[in-house]
Amino acid sequence: MSQQQSQPTTVTDSAGEPLRYENSSGNDEALAPDGSLVAPWQQLLSRMEEIGSNGLADRTDKIKRILRDDGAIYNASGGSLVWGLDPLPIILTADQWRELELGLIERAQLLDFILKDLYGNQEIIRRGLVPPEVIYSHPGFIRACHHTHLPGKHQLILYAADLIRSPDGQIMVLGDRTQAPSGSGYALENRLVMQRVFPAQFRESGIRMLRGFFNTLRAQMVRLAPEKNLRNGEGPRVVILTPGAYSETFFEHAFLANYLGYPLVQGKDLTVRKGHVWMKTLDGLSRVDVILRRVDDNYCDPVELRGDSQLGVPGLLEVVRAGNVSVANPLGSGILEAGALMKYLPAISQHFFGKQLRLPSAPTYWCGDPDDLQYVIANLRQLRIKPAQHHFDSHAVYGSSLSEGDLNELSLAIQQNPNNYVAQEYVQPSYGPCWRNNSLQPRPFALRTFAVADDQGYQVMPGGLTRAAANARDQRISNQLGAISKDTWIQLAQGEEDLGAASSTSVLVNRTVDISLPSRVVENLFWVGRYAERSDMTIRLLRTVFMQINGANQLPPEAERQLLYSVTQLTMTYPGFMKAGSDVFKDPEKELLSVILDQERTGSVCSSLRAMLRSASEVREMLSSDTQRVMNDIDDELGQLHIQLRTGMASAPEESLDPLVTALLALGGLFNESMFRGMSWHFLEIGRGIEKIYQLATLMRSLLVVECQQEESNAVCVESILATTEGLTTFRRRFRNDASLYNVLATLMLDRTNPRSLIYQLEQIQRYLTTLPKNAITAPESPREQRALIEAISIVQLADLNQLAAINPTSAVRQQLDQLLVRLQELMEYMAGAISEVYFDHTAGPQQLLQNPWQID
Amino acid sequence: MLYRIRHITRYQYVSPVSLAYNSACLLPRNTEYQTCLDHHLSISPKASVLAKRKDYFGNNTYNFCLEESHRELKVDIQSTVRTADVRLIDMDLDIGNTWEESLRLLHEARDETTLRAREFALDSSVIRANSELADYARPSFTQGRPLLSAVRDLTHRIYTDFAYDPGFTTVSTPLADVLKHRRGVCQDFAHLAIGCLRSLGFACRYISGYLETLPPPGQEKLVGSDASHAWFSVYSPQEGWFEFDPTNDNMPSQQHITTAWGRDYNDVAPLKGVIFEGGGAQTLSVSVDVQRLES
Repeated sequence: MSQQQSQPTTVTDSAGEPLRYENSSGNDEALAPDGSLVAPWQQLLSRMEEIGSNGLADRTDKIKRILRDDGAIYNASGGSLVWGLDPLPIILTADQWRELELGLIERAQLLDFILKDLYGNQEIIRRGLVPPEVIYSHPGFIRACHHTHLPGKHQLILYAADLIRSPDGQIMVLGDRTQAPSGSGYALENRLVMQRVFPAQFRESGIRMLRGFFNTLRAQMVRLAPEKNLRNGEGPRVVILTPGAYSETFFEHAFLANYLGYPLVQGKDLTVRKGHVWMKTLDGLSRVDVILRRVDDNYCDPVELRGDSQLGVPGLLEVVRAGNVSVANPLGSGILEAGALMKYLPAISQHFFGKQLRLPSAPTYWCGDPDDLQYVIANLRQLRIKPAQHHFDSHAVYGSSLSEGDLNELSLAIQQNPNNYVAQEYVQPSYGPCWRNNSLQPRPFALRTFAVADDQGYQVMPGGLTRAAANARDQRISNQLGAISKDTWIQLAQGEEDLGAASSTSVLVNRTVDISLPSRVVENLFWVGRYAERSDMTIRLLRTVFMQINGANQLPPEAERQLLYSVTQLTMTYPGFMKAGSDVFKDPEKELLSVILDQERTGSVCSSLRAMLRSASEVREMLSSDTQRVMNDIDDELGQLHIQLRTGMASAPEESLDPLVTALLALGGLFNESMFRGMSWHFLEIGRGIEKIYQLATLMRSLLVVECQQEESNAVCVESILATTEGLTTFRRRFRNDASLYNVLATLMLDRTNPRSLIYQLEQIQRYLTTLPKNAITAPESPREQRALIEAISIVQLADLNQLAAINPTSAVRQQLDQLLVRLQELMEYMAGAISEVYFDHTAGPQQLLQNPWQID
Repeated sequence: MLYRIRHITRYQYVSPVSLAYNSACLLPRNTEYQTCLDHHLSISPKASVLAKRKDYFGNNTYNFCLEESHRELKVDIQSTVRTADVRLIDMDLDIGNTWEESLRLLHEARDETTLRAREFALDSSVIRANSELADYARPSFTQGRPLLSAVRDLTHRIYTDFAYDPGFTTVSTPLADVLKHRRGVCQDFAHLAIGCLRSLGFACRYISGYLETLPPPGQEKLVGSDASHAWFSVYSPQEGWFEFDPTNDNMPSQQHITTAWGRDYNDVAPLKGVIFEGGGAQTLSVSVDVQRLES
């Protein structure tokens, strides 16, 4: 590989137009010193050439589409970014890979040894191999984890390393990831997408599969289960612990949970009782044996670790200590990410194993060492400096990017607290071809590789997560700065079979029963249902109101007023149009716009839809990719809505709402067509049903209870409620000219053929309620939610429509109708409350014990 | 001396607590100078799980979980401890390594004990080295002075310069405030001395325990009138750990009973935990009795 390539290399042995690739910036994976393509790249690029640049552009779009539909995102500090995948993979030959694999295994073994030692005898400190400060002042060294052990011979279960190839061709490690290494799920997603977009190219290239790695991971999770937990021959329960939907890599947590078949849980879904960890499920507590965690060490247990953490499981560490649950990676493993430790790895390897590391680290300096300090101060410009106590590279500073003043400041800070700084030689990573702006362009890249412990040693994923910088000159390769990922293809050797893929290791299946969902999940689905219906009814009403007030015929002021009241009442955005003596009626569109767009107003379209999207994102792993796509569309439409309504209010605002109505319809369809009729679906449907009934009752109270003075106004109200509830066409057909209130009430309340009628929805709910787990077993009385429902059904069924339609002559109000509807709303609220109490989790807290305010001596 | 110690901690909550996880660091450890002969722990309500272990620093620690609804948590621990009468109470402190020599050895010696003692020279959660603390300590560290003599002098100065004021500080009062206002209680003085010494580069431990108090002549000793206590020790390479009590301006004697040690209070907090449900306002009361059984 060379520094300079003068001749552009073209691939010409195919039908498509030639793809040109040249790189004058530095060492390139694809190019030989003379600028020609090296073997695997030659083949890869000629396969890509058959597709042609237009074809590649198309497939790039297809990749984007799939990633989006899969909900593949990365939550950066500024918001979430759609995961980016370059259509060109990085390709490594079998020989290159074999050497790398050996180096990674050796390194994983060394780190495993150090981990055991640090939480045991601390020989590396006793023997003076590592200065005590490197370990003892690092927050990743957790004293509470002293003498905790996982079953089996390994403590470090998952290991990831960030690699680059230096200008002299040596592959080196920039950082070790040992706490809760992320990226393997993204690597798998990349692979699945590539296989869909480039099926032929992938097949023909003879590439190793990733499946074997994940099979090993699953087998290892089974091995980690505490033996004493599994006396009855049952399989272990493994869960994935996530910090939640807002964590950077939540997509991957949900994706891996689905792929591996493990429930995805948050700290609050778990509880410690009787010395074990349990998952709170719909039908009670269910024991957890292994936790694959994505929560950082210090956040895992507020009792013994960070007291302010809301992400952990109080009491977890004590259960670990007792050997009643296994956590992978074990708590405390973050210490291996201490930057300064890298400097001492060669000495430790030499001392205990008598060998050099095959896979070296980038040259690392710890300023607590006097010689290193001197070197670092003298060479700040070509170093990458980071605080010794941080795990993350994001805190690193590049000396070359600092001004003279900043450099001096940094130099002073280092000299004041040398122990707190680590520096690494900046090594220019090698380049690889990327597809940018419709051409091949060189970009520096880094590769994250993954290893998992097995009963022999470590198995390395044959592939990994490559990330290429956004620009050719970028020093830092980070998702936040626009880096794009690449699939990583490892070639099979000539005649080699892919053993990893073939071994369908008989993995013990997780004890999965449908009802063993964390209760938080069903709670969120329940709310997805409620918010979806709430938004739906609001949007439909607003659409009707816009059409009425902007219609060809001038509305009677009385009718307009009644319609606007109903908007405020349905959305509960008081005072809104209900404000006495208000001039909102002079320019009702302003208030109507606010009811649509103002996210800060609870009840507005935007706020309800955002709430729905939030609940949905909490349970992303439960939603099909089509559902995910519709959710994305709704998200997009919300953005569009602002633009359309703010600019072109005059031209039919109701039309701007149409796409949302359609999207919500699609969502309803998906709930019905593509969800399994399990517990989660029942809760979702109960949520929808309760909300539909509640909203219809509100609307009826707004538009039918008060009798207007003019007959025309009453007609407008009736027409509006029927239009909003999609009943107008049918109603007209059936009743022709008889829009009597009797017929209207019959349609909205008692018509079993109308899916929006009260009776239809009530009877639906009744069907779902009987399937809920707790209803199968309880006391002789019916449960509370059941009783509320029975009452609701009875009052609707026993309704005397003539009486309900009757008007109190003094107040011009249909009092009986109003009473019935109010009671119905009460019953719905009561039912929702009872369901929530029985099935959802309400543990309040946690709260720290007060500490003794010194009263001592 | 032979002592019986009873230490009762009570938490009362306004509303019932349904679930609690706690750890207690209350049982005296064995040391070079003392042996715990027996002990009895009782927790109310009954713990669903109770486990005893030695923590990272070798202290006795109990972890327990409460799963019964309760408005009051009571942890009652009794122990019998024999303290040795050979302590270096009257030792000549003008011998041994100079402080300069100790400091050099601490950072250069390669023996295991010294390497591991360096853990105690580093910042910890509530004690951070800084130049004000170093400045306060420096007058005691005159050129060529033996380390122990210098530390004894620092202890004495803290005793004279600082007012004992139980109303002034809480567990979360920063060391800077203690230094500024020149007042505090035993934990503050121990933290202060440790902060001063660490700011100069020395390794120090925070020690929690008890001190036998004697009633004024002619009066009966009141039950529950004793209190837990805190002091510190400093490490001198090749010589060992030496304890000092800045609150009482002395070196701990047979009347000091050690419970636990660590880098600071947080490592040895007597009782900590997390409670669920209820709780709300909590009230905490502690009663300690140190009763001498034999002289």
